Amino acid sequence: MPNSPIRDKINPMEQRSPTLRNLAWLWFAIAVAVLVVGFREAIFLVPSDAAQGDVGRIFYYHVPIAMWSLLFPYLNFAASLAYLYWRNRDPLKALTADAFALASAEVAVVYTSITLITGSIWGRAAWGIWWAWDARLTSLLLLWLLYVSYLMLRRFSSTGQTQTLAAVLSVFAAVDVPIVYMSIRWWRTQHPAPVFFGGPDAGMDKSMLPAFVWNIIGWGIWGIFILLFRFALERRRQIADQDAALQAIEASLEIPQ
Amino acid sequence: MTWHSFFNMSTMENRHLLSAYATVLVIQAGYLARVAWQWHRTRAPRR
Repeated sequence: MPNSPIRDKINPMEQRSPTLRNLAWLWFAIAVAVLVVGFREAIFLVPSDAAQGDVGRIFYYHVPIAMWSLLFPYLNFAASLAYLYWRNRDPLKALTADAFALASAEVAVVYTSITLITGSIWGRAAWGIWWAWDARLTSLLLLWLLYVSYLMLRRFSSTGQTQTLAAVLSVFAAVDVPIVYMSIRWWRTQHPAPVFFGGPDAGMDKSMLPAFVWNIIGWGIWGIFILLFRFALERRRQIADQDAALQAIEASLEIPQ
Repeated sequence: MTWHSFFNMSTMENRHLLSAYATVLVIQAGYLARVAWQWHRTRAPRR
């Protein structure tokens, strides 16, 4: 069935794949190049922090990745809402939204895991302890647990409503994101005060800006790349499943009665 | 800072800096490798 209208409808990305592949390689190359510049700035060009010494350079990876880790849950939230809206109205669009929700949840877990680990490594050197149950660290740990739960639900649930349950969980999980963001503004915490939008004492020295900006751009481009790659993988899986189902239907129709 | 001091493990400060950067790169590269591996294992749609 090379020109099936059904397959064309479920797989419109197929015809664009060579262009998309070239674009993906270009995007990947740009991400790596920007991250190399960011690494060079953070390690070799920025002067050591006067108070913390070289361990303060963890900031240039920890903070940009932490900032991005609060964006991906919102993408998951938006895709989950889209899934819930379309699941009875347009199942093909709902499948696409569901693939995007899954991809953004995985990337959220990757970025949140890194934030927790690098923060802990920095805390041990700066505070003398690996962990403190303060509002920022605890709310971020909860966010991580919520998205790990989301992924485990999708992986192990055997009901026919897994995608709907996951989408509803995602809506609740997104509530934690503003709590994480505001935690260092609402409560006194062991975690350092906010760098941006944190009042008159917020901000950073001009000498720190290039390393910070290159890394926030680099990890953003990288995050979008892995998000879209994971989304494309999930779409490929969905299309492979649909292909198998269509083949089975076609085979049953070809059986002489 | 130089490459030599970046890989110098003699102080806790340097060990923690190196381990933080290595953690970031290993997790990100590991996740990308996992997605790429699954991409190659998933059958491409028929044309």
